[in-house]
Amino acid sequence: MSFLSLVVKNPFRNKTRSILAIIGIAIGIMVIVALGMVTGGLKTSTQSTLKAGGAEITVVQTGASGFETTASINETTVGDILKLNGVKDTAGTLRANNNTASGLNTSASQGQATSSGGSSGAPGTSGPPGFSGSLYITGIDRSKLSLAGIDSVNGTAFADNSANEVIIGKTAANNLNKTVGETVNLLGKDFKITGTFESGNFLTDGGIYMSLSTLQNLTSNQNKVSNILVKVKENANVTDVSNTIEDAYPNELSTTTAADLAGRINQGLSFIDTASWAISILAIVIGGVGVVNTMIMSVYERTREIGVLKAVGWKDRRILGMILGESIVLTLIAAGVGTVVAIIGVEVLLTYSSVGGVIKPSFSLDIFLRGFGIAFLVGIVGGLYPAYRASRLAPTEALRYE
Amino acid sequence: MNNVDNIIDIKGLKKSYDKGKIKALNGMDLEVKRGEFVSIMGPSGSGKSTLLNMIGALDRAEEGSVKIAGIDLVKTKDLSKFRSQEIGFVFQMHNLIPNLSVLENVEIPMYETKLSSKEMRKRALELLKAVDLADIVDQNPTKLSGGERQRVAIARALVNHPSIILADEPTGALDSKTGAIILKLLKDLHSKEHVTLVMVTHESYVANMADRILNVLDGKISNE
Repeated sequence: MSFLSLVVKNPFRNKTRSILAIIGIAIGIMVIVALGMVTGGLKTSTQSTLKAGGAEITVVQTGASGFETTASINETTVGDILKLNGVKDTAGTLRANNNTASGLNTSASQGQATSSGGSSGAPGTSGPPGFSGSLYITGIDRSKLSLAGIDSVNGTAFADNSANEVIIGKTAANNLNKTVGETVNLLGKDFKITGTFESGNFLTDGGIYMSLSTLQNLTSNQNKVSNILVKVKENANVTDVSNTIEDAYPNELSTTTAADLAGRINQGLSFIDTASWAISILAIVIGGVGVVNTMIMSVYERTREIGVLKAVGWKDRRILGMILGESIVLTLIAAGVGTVVAIIGVEVLLTYSSVGGVIKPSFSLDIFLRGFGIAFLVGIVGGLYPAYRASRLAPTEALRYE
Repeated sequence: MNNVDNIIDIKGLKKSYDKGKIKALNGMDLEVKRGEFVSIMGPSGSGKSTLLNMIGALDRAEEGSVKIAGIDLVKTKDLSKFRSQEIGFVFQMHNLIPNLSVLENVEIPMYETKLSSKEMRKRALELLKAVDLADIVDQNPTKLSGGERQRVAIARALVNHPSIILADEPTGALDSKTGAIILKLLKDLHSKEHVTLVMVTHESYVANMADRILNVLDGKISNE
């Protein structure tokens, strides 16, 4: 038997104690890996959103966040903004919320485009079991789809002024289990899906797009839009154009640039990152204490045996290596268990939650290396003192130990 | 002047415990020839086990010189290599590692050698065959009888071809019949492997099997 086999075999002499130690460390590693997978997924989504084409500026009613479904901007403003310096193109969009909290429902009674959603009707019949959450419907002119980041449609885009055609984002299509040619009930009316799209923006891909006028009619918001998408000219500065718009409509309209949005999202992610590291440190401390306790008990129980090992000629450093190795074996097994549980947990959580379609968990090697790295560190830190203590035992005293 | 034939050459050895209150060895002199079988007798607390620990480099002398197999143990810093190469211990309570198999227990001392796992296994199997345990090499020691366990311990003691076997009451925990078998085995292996055997015992009939009997009293050899 090799020395390595001995080191791997030894921790399982007292199975209960070792399993409890493994569980303790595995919980910490699980949290680290799970948070890493989710934040990594969010980062990827944010980056792909920034990389996606479309408008650089979103104009909203002052005080609004840009995600509301309130239609309070007059549609004529869309044309007025187009005339401002540095503006290449504009598109008015109207947003409505189709609540799907029942899990199957994509329908609602004839609704208003309101900030609270606008759905209160009877459940519909489409959508996969398990999916729950709000489905955003956006009204936009077909010719302006590129400003929403939709450059190509698999199938055909809805016809302008068509009363019953929609295109659906890839994530929404997956969540609702819908494809081209099928119908979807929105705001109490059946719509035919003429195409699907993938913009790379997780918010856009999680929604449904239809003709602006159709949504305005459906939600009784004629000549109103929720926000205005603005594409700036190639030689224009996004911040300057943004300021020009706000100066032209003081206390009336506000602007958000893609960079602003990214900044806000990154701020949130950095907070989660900090929290993740704080949890990691906590896991190291708690796991380390657990490992120290387990290994000290193990050394204590094996005092006589360590005396025998010294008597047969084992060097102090081999005894140190054995105990340290056993500690690392425990923590690496815990890392394996924690990682597997984290992957399963995150997958299950995202599959059965409303954000499942939006966040794709990250399987970046960095996350798993971090988990195993922390486990390895806990193994060394936790095993060092017991290993040192074992290596320094006087052979005669160890052999006398009862 | 030291006799070159002496594998154990101890002069004026002193060792005390409890801050000098207990004088375990009080100026002991001892010479043992290579290949000799020596029994050490004496009452409890006379210093027999301390002497054995000094010869086996498990403890260090306070005064005097200890030369074993030509190595000055007082001047040698790291004694683990000496223990690995020159000494084989057989304890009263066998001290086998319970979670390892019989074979693995015998392999344990060879980790400090440069032997491969395959060579270690071969050597351990040879010795287990020599002590008549070839058919239970994969057994756990906890399932063995006292005699079988002591035979495993003897195989473990011999596995690195030591110059000296130090046996501390090897039959003390065995019934007389099993004890006799173990003693015969030790004596046979001593002859066959040409190894020096130093055995601590309380029992005269066991001591009488040796080439020489040493009586220890108050930390000194009282008579031979």
